Amino acid sequence: MDRFLFLTVDGLARGAVLAAFALSLVIIWRAARIVNFAQGAMAVATTYIAFTVTSATGNYWLGLASAVVAGLVLGALVERTVMRFVGNTNPLNSVIAGLGLLLVIQAALGMIFGNGYRAMATPFSSTPISVGGVSAVSPYDLFIFICVGLMVVGLALLFTKTSLGLRLRASAFAPDLARLLGVRSSRMLTLGWALSSAVGALAALLIIPTELGLNPHAVDTVFVYAFTVAVVGGLDSAGGAVAGGLAVGVVLSWVSGYLGATLTPIAVLVLLLAVLLLRPAGLFSMTKERTA
Amino acid sequence: MIVSQHPGPVRSTPAQRRPAANKRRHSVLAAAVTAAALTLAACGSSGEGTSTAAEDVPGITDSTVTVGTHQPLTGPAAAGYASISPATKAYFDHVNANGGIHGRTIEYTVKDDGYNPANTQSVVREMVLQDEVFAVVGGLGTPPHSSVLDFLNDNEVPDLFVASGSPTWNQPENYPYTYGFMQDYDTEAKGLAAYVQEEFPDATYCLFGQDDDFGADFKTGLESALGSDSLASTQVYSTTNTDVAAQISDLQAAGCDVNFLASINGFTAQAIGTAAKLGYMPRWAASSAGGDYNTLSSYLGENTDALLEGFISSNYLPANTDTDDEWTAKFKEINEEYNPGAAFDGNTIFGMSIGYLFAEALHEAGENPTRESLLEALESGDVQGNGHVPLGFSADSHAGYTGGMITLVSDGVQAYTGSPYSADGDSVSAYTEDRPAMPENGIPQ
Repeated sequence: MDRFLFLTVDGLARGAVLAAFALSLVIIWRAARIVNFAQGAMAVATTYIAFTVTSATGNYWLGLASAVVAGLVLGALVERTVMRFVGNTNPLNSVIAGLGLLLVIQAALGMIFGNGYRAMATPFSSTPISVGGVSAVSPYDLFIFICVGLMVVGLALLFTKTSLGLRLRASAFAPDLARLLGVRSSRMLTLGWALSSAVGALAALLIIPTELGLNPHAVDTVFVYAFTVAVVGGLDSAGGAVAGGLAVGVVLSWVSGYLGATLTPIAVLVLLLAVLLLRPAGLFSMTKERTA
Repeated sequence: MIVSQHPGPVRSTPAQRRPAANKRRHSVLAAAVTAAALTLAACGSSGEGTSTAAEDVPGITDSTVTVGTHQPLTGPAAAGYASISPATKAYFDHVNANGGIHGRTIEYTVKDDGYNPANTQSVVREMVLQDEVFAVVGGLGTPPHSSVLDFLNDNEVPDLFVASGSPTWNQPENYPYTYGFMQDYDTEAKGLAAYVQEEFPDATYCLFGQDDDFGADFKTGLESALGSDSLASTQVYSTTNTDVAAQISDLQAAGCDVNFLASINGFTAQAIGTAAKLGYMPRWAASSAGGDYNTLSSYLGENTDALLEGFISSNYLPANTDTDDEWTAKFKEINEEYNPGAAFDGNTIFGMSIGYLFAEALHEAGENPTRESLLEALESGDVQGNGHVPLGFSADSHAGYTGGMITLVSDGVQAYTGSPYSADGDSVSAYTEDRPAMPENGIPQ
């Protein structure tokens, strides 16, 4: 029982970050109907900025703020300079452009910062606190839960309670109609990219210290897991991304703990395949698939 | 995008080796070509002695010897290994600045394969067929190098000092042109087992290993040295899953006091870091593939010294921390002069030692080296390298260093302890002879 609890809590902590990363994929999907394959590399780039700022100032929070700001800027930049000019006649075009961007960013990071791993400090201890004999949740895990929670609530409020959110949704659903009604759809698209990239930046900053460390390829595997999470939860559904993230995190932890670490990548693929076969829109997509 | 980042072994099964029929066809072809060549030679040379004009040998001119290598300069494996080839290059620059070997400078072509076997195939073909290198030296990684093993041997290109601990490279009958370099994982496991058994006789031993042949070979070595049921728990990890909390908590629950590690540096760090977070502080005894102090400290950051105190590993080359060692001192000097700005660590020593070994082999191959004379020099056993234990090179063996020496971290310094060991059946035995002295200026004379 102790072990079950340990594995579950460990999985939830990891799942929370996967959820945050998946959320960034969902935002872009909702805004532009694009799966952004460069998302991981963009998030690593902003983490390097945070790392540089934190090393220079000795302040974690300044680094965190700079990562989020850099995320906003980078997202807008990528949309304005690259994605805008990729024809959308074929969905493959944006995938290829995203992959190209991924290679360029990773190579550039390697040239600027080198290919070595850099240890990243955490603002709180990662040593688990013992609760009832089971030590599983560390203060840093709690920090992750809180950050991801705030992010989800903030995004939900933005999308449902503000006029900006309404405009964002309108231009994602029906860009032409929205434009006729006075919404500047193209600006909304840029804003969607900026938001998504900022969320990705925060997610990468949270997860990299729990992985091997900062490296141009630090988020490669996380991206694969997050993509699975987004598909499992439904690419359309923010709530789905969160629930899917926690679920995938826990499943991975159980598989690794009870069946062996070798099976975790296979488990992810099986999950992806099963969801695509049984419920292609995702487990948590409430609405009928949109065609917009 | 996802690769295992260690030069781990891929054991070739008989089916993977060159099929006999293929080989027969080659030998028939070879015989026909030889016959034709002999006829031509008989017609052309009017009784003159056979002289080896330099231009007849690929990669050799009167003033240069061109060799090539494939290395992960970019991609996920670059983090651990990209600094090796600049060190080899620096050593060759040092040799060239001092007149080269028999008057020839060594030109070193480095091709980036990103640790991707598909890329390795294309860059090695380019090197051999287009650039016409004399030999491939220090090709890195088991999966990448396995993909060009047949190609190099079919084309009769010397394939020297593969940077991987796999036993694959030691198959003189199947791969006569391929030579190993590193101590193999099996021997290393036996060496570590012998040390741990002596120092911690009553401890509970466990293994944390990679889920491929690297982990499997290491385990075989451990079990043959310690006994088949000697490991209280064996946990494996996959390079695609960095969360090892489940495995480490299993080791903790099994009461393991000494954990052997058959892991690459990143996962050694991850294992030790995760254990510390769980309040679990056992002894660690790691394969040299994941036991380099400098590399581990880049992962572990400011906690390195506390986490690595008492960390056991193995090596066979001069230690980068031992400035009294003549080789280390010379390599450090070379690094400062020809590789400025680069850190001086285990990878630097590794790269330069491969460079030295090639220079020595080239020197022994004679004033007008050919591929044949190079291999003869290696098989003769006269090429000795700069390790603490001898190389296994002979007509029957293409194994690299035949043993190693235990390293221990104490107060933040990883240094050798005790005396070297070499492989000896199911276990290891002490190797007592002195290492050959360094030639003047670190260049084979």
